[in-house]
Amino acid sequence: MKNTASGWKVITTWLAARDRQPFAFQEEAWTHYLQGKSGLVNAPTGYGKTFSLFLGVVIDWINRHPKDYTSKTKNGLQLLWITPLRALAKDIARAMEEVLQELDIPWQVGIRSGDTPVSTRAAQKKNMPEVLLITPESLHLLIGQKEYPKVFSYLTTVVADEWHELLGTKRGVMIELGLSRLKGLAKKEGRPPIKIWGISATIGNLAEAMDVLLGTPDPQAVIVRAKIDKKIELQSILPDEIEKYPWAGHLGTRLLYKALPIVDESRTTLIFTNVRSQTEIWYQEILRQCPDLAGALALHHGSIDMELRIWVEEALHTGTLKAVVCTSSLDLGVDFRPVDTVIQVGSPKGVARFLQRAGRSGHQPGATSKIWFLPTHSLELVEAAALKAAIAQQVVESRMPVILAFDVLLQYLMTLAISDGFHAGEIWVEVRNTFCFRDMTEDEWQWLLAFLTTGGDALYSYDEFKKVEREGDFFICRSRMQAMRHRLHIGVIVSDAMLKVKFMGGGFIGMIEEWFIARLTAGDTFSLGGRILEFVMIKDMTVLVRKSNAKKAIVPSWMGGRLPLSPNLGKILRETFNEALSGNTTTPELQVLQPLFNLQEYLSHVPKADELLIEMIHTRDGYHLFAYPFEGRLVNEVMATLLAYRLSKRTPITFSIAMNDYGFELLSDQPIPLTPDDVYELFSLDHLNIDLQASVNSTEMARRKFRDIAVIAGLIFQGYPGKHKQSRHLQSSASLLFNVFTEYDPQNLLLRQAFNEAFFYQMEEARLRESLDRIYHSKIVITYPEQLTPFCFPIKVDSLREQLTSEKLEDRIKKMRPEF
Amino acid sequence: MEEVIYNFRNQTWLLSAHRAVFWKEEQALIVSDIHLGKSAHFRKAGIAVPANIGQDDLYRLQKLITVYNPAQVIIVGDMFHSSHNNDVPLFKLWRQQFPHIRFKLVKGNHDIMPKQVYIDIDVEVYDALQIQEIHFAHEPCEEADDSKYTFSGHIHPGVAVSGAGRQRLRLPCFYFGRNCSILPAFGRFTGLAMLDAEAADAVFVIANNSVLKIS
Repeated sequence: MKNTASGWKVITTWLAARDRQPFAFQEEAWTHYLQGKSGLVNAPTGYGKTFSLFLGVVIDWINRHPKDYTSKTKNGLQLLWITPLRALAKDIARAMEEVLQELDIPWQVGIRSGDTPVSTRAAQKKNMPEVLLITPESLHLLIGQKEYPKVFSYLTTVVADEWHELLGTKRGVMIELGLSRLKGLAKKEGRPPIKIWGISATIGNLAEAMDVLLGTPDPQAVIVRAKIDKKIELQSILPDEIEKYPWAGHLGTRLLYKALPIVDESRTTLIFTNVRSQTEIWYQEILRQCPDLAGALALHHGSIDMELRIWVEEALHTGTLKAVVCTSSLDLGVDFRPVDTVIQVGSPKGVARFLQRAGRSGHQPGATSKIWFLPTHSLELVEAAALKAAIAQQVVESRMPVILAFDVLLQYLMTLAISDGFHAGEIWVEVRNTFCFRDMTEDEWQWLLAFLTTGGDALYSYDEFKKVEREGDFFICRSRMQAMRHRLHIGVIVSDAMLKVKFMGGGFIGMIEEWFIARLTAGDTFSLGGRILEFVMIKDMTVLVRKSNAKKAIVPSWMGGRLPLSPNLGKILRETFNEALSGNTTTPELQVLQPLFNLQEYLSHVPKADELLIEMIHTRDGYHLFAYPFEGRLVNEVMATLLAYRLSKRTPITFSIAMNDYGFELLSDQPIPLTPDDVYELFSLDHLNIDLQASVNSTEMARRKFRDIAVIAGLIFQGYPGKHKQSRHLQSSASLLFNVFTEYDPQNLLLRQAFNEAFFYQMEEARLRESLDRIYHSKIVITYPEQLTPFCFPIKVDSLREQLTSEKLEDRIKKMRPEF
Repeated sequence: MEEVIYNFRNQTWLLSAHRAVFWKEEQALIVSDIHLGKSAHFRKAGIAVPANIGQDDLYRLQKLITVYNPAQVIIVGDMFHSSHNNDVPLFKLWRQQFPHIRFKLVKGNHDIMPKQVYIDIDVEVYDALQIQEIHFAHEPCEEADDSKYTFSGHIHPGVAVSGAGRQRLRLPCFYFGRNCSILPAFGRFTGLAMLDAEAADAVFVIANNSVLKIS
């Protein structure tokens, strides 16, 4: 087949003319594709993963139209290429267009995302390009249009790019649902099955990733692996005097002076930070210390103006920028060739993410990716050492797929209802054939349909619920108002209410979270998009500002973006402490940290891999218990809650709980009843489920999860643009809805989903059991330090707080005082 | 302590954990911000909040009426949440149980329905109401006028209480300021706005089924 097919020859000839030849994995992928198979390509960025599938589609096209492939136009949509980031789409489109032009194939390549202008959309509707690059949200918007099946009637192939990023997220579920419909349409119209391919970086569960994408197991499906060993070199930027480097609560700018020479010697540097606020601070600080960089330094994160982002991306391509400070907004596989250096500020919290970021430099095949690690506090250097070990051992995380995301399904059903309507029987079969909903019951399905038509099963004669109409098996939404409202809120990325920030004289700067602005008064200054701005007023959901010359400004913090430590990294972290303790380590990060470890050992203890350290400290704040399981923030939180609950059964006591990735703190106003003799039973697996259910926190966790669920399922009214006032009687907070549902409709499926998400994703029950068991069988060391230790300090000052109590509410209030 | 007796301005006020005040001397049951019809309003717009919240609010009001047997019910604004919906006829039906009790509504910003609706459901509507030296107005006002004192609602007051060990709780409250008091929202489909307890003369929080004085 390989040599007789004309398409293959055309492509290899074209490559040869450019002194290139296909990688083995590309040829492998083409072969499988030409045999009509679906599958997954596993390849690192910068090694032609796009061409491994795109050229396959082109070869197939030439094979099918050997005579007129250079002249045939208006062929309808052939290839749908789903990408998680708009920034990626532009890049890939450019690469594809180049190929098509050189091959003289008159195909059009279109992009469809939230940024696509209305005129382009209209043109696309009239005449679909042969290749369409699309985000998951825009795919659903397409499905939400009248007569959408026509758009897809020539479709042969769907590619889900960066699938590892989407797997395990609700956006991934959107792709699963979108694919289920595209497959269903093909089947209904008697077309050959659509070929579905994923492209994924290396993750721990590649086979499962493919199963999720394909929905039902496909014995023909293949995983094509690019056996390319990418070299990654990690080097830490070390503080000169570890004793003087902060223990917590810093942003790393203290080490900036050591990073500047690295930027200077490089062509283009990407500086990754973990949160948007840190990006702003770094940007300001670099300019302050190095004013020469003005104009050659840029900022990139999800909240700045799109045009500015596009400009930054263009400038990265052309190499006119010296450095860009960014967040995960530049994580994905954009191929910026001029980038030769990457600096990671603070812990990346996971091996896969770190590898991804490292891969941003040295994009050319064969080049070594070099990444610098700049710690924001001393203990983070241990993480650098652990990352090195993880890279050496090739330990990469798995991504847990999302199961039974009813909120996303409700949104999808509404999307179908506002376009052409849907037949429940047909969609039930399609949805049940996705990975996410394969275990959905008939009862749950009926509940969802009832939710859309009668507003849940609480029917009473006075009810006026109106959303979707039911005509036998057929469901349709005929209200234009409802349809418009739904279109505006398709998507599953939920952030706080965001307000536009504009200059008084016009000119859009970016978006900012409402709660941050709520804390400001007129005249306060803050920084956004690298500019210092003076807050004037809020008008029509827009924050009006003017330029400020102030030197100091408040830096907005954006919620979210606090990633938990992955289990793999946690394990390696514990082993790393062992190495540090041995006293004869050769890892430079650990050598530098030796004085800190000595202090920790002097004040308390440094735990070995088979030990759990508990520190009991009494300060002015109260009685603290610090424990260090190194299990990541989420598991630490649940373990803390469990411990607090079990302690509170011994005596009526109230705890405030804090945690970070290393450990957790229980703080109380009374002595904590714990002795070396009874400490082990706190970690026992007996009655674990009952104790977990009983701990108040499951409700609080569920409440947090419910926020996103309520928005995705359409319970939170977000208003129409420009019609702010009329909608104010429909506003409510997710927390209020959570209370109302808990009280009046406890069987609500969305409420149940919130609890499930809390238990399975946040509590990670399986992982919790494993670590409790490990601790129960390890040695628990309790120390009573006189002062705060290097280990506990970051938890105390820099963490998220929860509480748990066994005292009666009335008794607690009597002990409290109002906040002034 | 389902209720607390608060002697204030030579009058007897029973503060109920069910988010209402009973004024003994005037035999008046005082509530604020019921927001009847709110869930129905949401449901009409296709937002599937539970349907029975309005019914439940009326049931709770009915229980209070049975306990205190008032001569009048004073609603300090926001009786209904929005425009007409089926919770209005529901209220009309419910209202027929108490033909002997006068219902007085001091108009709030949410009370936007035409006059005739209130006539039909037998509710007297006032822009402001004065009984003895107590003034009723929907929105709190702190104008100094020692001859009268205002009872208001509108903001759904709550206070945050904190304790050792960095505990923190947010609870609905009865707030008594220098010249004005703010009543908790009666309706359960309402949120909380946090107030500064220090500026108040007295604050009573509602915790489960208890009313507790915290300042």
